[in-house]
Amino acid sequence: MAIVKMSKFNLFAFNSDRENLLHELQKFKYVHFINLNKNDSLKEIGLKNVEVPESIVALDEEISKVKYGIEILSHFYEKESGLGAMKKGLETLNFDELEERDSKIDYINLYNQLKDLNDKKEMLIQDVTKLGSSIEELSPWVKLNSPIKELNKFESSEALLGTIPKKLKQKLETELLDTNYTYFEILSEDKDNIYVLAITSNSEAETLNEILRNNSFSSVKLSAEEEPSTEISKLQEEIQIKENEIKDFENKIRQFSGALPDLEVEYEYLMNKKLRLMASENFVATDNVNVIQGYIPAEMEDEFVQAVKLALKDNYYIEIKEAERDNPEVPILLKNSKFVQSFESLTGMYALPRYNEIDPTPFLAPFYLAFFGMMIADIGYGILMLIGTLVALKYFNLTDSMKSFMRFFHYLSYSAIFWGAIYGSFFGGIIPLPALINPSEQYNELLIISIAFGAVHLFFGLGLKAYLSIREGNIKDAIYDVGFWYMALIGGILFLISMVMGISSIAKNIGLVVMIIGMVGIILTGGRDSKSIGGKAAGGLYSLYGISSYVGDFVSYSRLMALGLSGGFIASAINMMVDMLFAKGILGILGGIAVFFIGQLFNVFLSILSAYVHTIRLTYVEFFGKFYEGGGKGFNIFRNKTKYINLK
Amino acid sequence: MSFAEFMVNYGGIFFAGLGAALAVILSGFGSAKGVGLVGEAAAGLMIEEPEKFGKSLVLQLLPGTQGLYGFVIGLLVLGKLDVNMSLANGMYIFASCLPVGFVGWISAIAQGRTAAAGINLLAKNEEQSTKGIIYAVMVETYALLSFVISLILVNAVTF
Repeated sequence: MAIVKMSKFNLFAFNSDRENLLHELQKFKYVHFINLNKNDSLKEIGLKNVEVPESIVALDEEISKVKYGIEILSHFYEKESGLGAMKKGLETLNFDELEERDSKIDYINLYNQLKDLNDKKEMLIQDVTKLGSSIEELSPWVKLNSPIKELNKFESSEALLGTIPKKLKQKLETELLDTNYTYFEILSEDKDNIYVLAITSNSEAETLNEILRNNSFSSVKLSAEEEPSTEISKLQEEIQIKENEIKDFENKIRQFSGALPDLEVEYEYLMNKKLRLMASENFVATDNVNVIQGYIPAEMEDEFVQAVKLALKDNYYIEIKEAERDNPEVPILLKNSKFVQSFESLTGMYALPRYNEIDPTPFLAPFYLAFFGMMIADIGYGILMLIGTLVALKYFNLTDSMKSFMRFFHYLSYSAIFWGAIYGSFFGGIIPLPALINPSEQYNELLIISIAFGAVHLFFGLGLKAYLSIREGNIKDAIYDVGFWYMALIGGILFLISMVMGISSIAKNIGLVVMIIGMVGIILTGGRDSKSIGGKAAGGLYSLYGISSYVGDFVSYSRLMALGLSGGFIASAINMMVDMLFAKGILGILGGIAVFFIGQLFNVFLSILSAYVHTIRLTYVEFFGKFYEGGGKGFNIFRNKTKYINLK
Repeated sequence: MSFAEFMVNYGGIFFAGLGAALAVILSGFGSAKGVGLVGEAAAGLMIEEPEKFGKSLVLQLLPGTQGLYGFVIGLLVLGKLDVNMSLANGMYIFASCLPVGFVGWISAIAQGRTAAAGINLLAKNEEQSTKGIIYAVMVETYALLSFVISLILVNAVTF
């Protein structure tokens, strides 16, 4: 349970065996290498870094080829969508199967064919774009109904094509009134410019040029020869032909799309191979011998040695010893029962424990379960979660992490149903049920229950802190940092309760005395780490000031009540609207049903999301704050994180 | 009818109605602004990484809850309205609506900003995006507290 015990190994192996060894270790999977590259003491005795083999360059190239193939084919591959895809999930392979698949896949050939087809297709696409812009260039001149090449063939006159800014149109027209042998026509206009044709006799050419120049005329030379409209339809035909060709190429590429799963497997294979090659970065070496250090789970020692033996025969030297307890470098692997394991993601999200701490997951799980349910507190919502997660777990092929996430919500759904029964709430009260606590009236009781739960949670956290101190042999710390706080808080609570309720003066006095002893204890010991008397006194007082943060902590648990209430009230508000609609005849009933389903589903989603994060907050801030530090490094298994397959 | 007469006769229902309106209006303001803020940030993300839509939607939803809290309070007040309410009762209802209205308004905007920053986190480091959600939820605490107080105040009395 909890944090997996680690062993540290020192392995000496020959350079020539390295590839073989790494291959075998990758199959074994549970190896975490230590990077010796930065270990100066090893460097000083003359050990050198191991260079990453040059084959990595070639490998990178192969990877990029496979990626290219995947990218191209994924546009054409018809994946099953929705339920079918989820049911099928990712393909599961073990390491040997992966290597076997790799040997059967001829991706280089595939890549070459794909590359060839795709390049040709891209060329055609470029051509189409070019043709399109030619059309665009010509389209303002469609009204010109003579072949363009003819315009340059006049002997005694001159033809000009060009554009003029729109705002100068009127000025130009008035100026042109003075000319006698000039023909002028506006062929088209757009947002900024007018497109003009001007024909003039040679004798007047200079005058015309002068006028045009004064009106910012810019001449346009069209490269086409025929009439613009003919040219355009010719271009359009050409585009049509090219687009058909593009379709042909696409169909050809589509024929290869069945190979996509193979490429994806190949990608995973190559990425693992890359990881294997890169692993040698962690090693140091003499001329012939590699020095390899790392961690393995202690319980797998024998299997590890066997894997090494398999790769190296007898040509190695190995030392295995228990990992040092206080070394922050020891990697962390958590191992828990199925129930607790589904809560591990919460611990991981905050911070993994250090090797000398405890795994907080088993302790946070029961509280998380209870609190989450209290925030949802609806039988109907709980049943929805239960059915959803059961279906997902039973019928879908999920990845391991998804599976544990689903299991997480599966467990939580029971708690939601349980609390729903206590609150007597079924989809916000569509069926009246007897309630143990009626949240809309007994919210004061609920508030007290919430804060009482909070007190249990907090005291449990403090208790864990005491346990950790005692485990370290610091019984004094446990008394000073936890015992006195217990006294101050419990005494204070007893005192307040008996004062408010006015029960008995004995309880009140006992509470007061216990609280004062606790507080004095905190003041006396809170600053014990300081050197000077003044420091000790100030530290002690400051520690006692921490009691204000406990007030905040307790209040924070009121969210247990608040979220349950808000979810419940939103649900009953939806039902209220549905009732109003139902009173309005057939259409109203139909509308009401729609409002009910959409509204309730929205509220389920919102309630689950809020409950999920607010319980996380209670765990991280209030609970972990009392005892947990974390900061351990995760154990990196010697496998690449897969994208397209499940690798066992 | 003079103003004083109006107040005496209908002041109760007027203030109670005003309270319900304010609870919905103010918290709705805030939520609309907050949700909009996150939506703007998230839309930019969709250009490059449309597959993160689901997670961005969760972040966008977070500042939306305040509006719902206000809405629930508004509905509850609706159930208490009565034309013959006394001015004091109406004023009481009015005051009960203020916490969820004001805190809902400001906290939704603050939460929207935090969630928009969470979108940034989602863009750059998807694995850590849950932490962005948690940051935004920290703000929610205060909206929740004000909602609870409004709820208790409204529910505590029957006229």
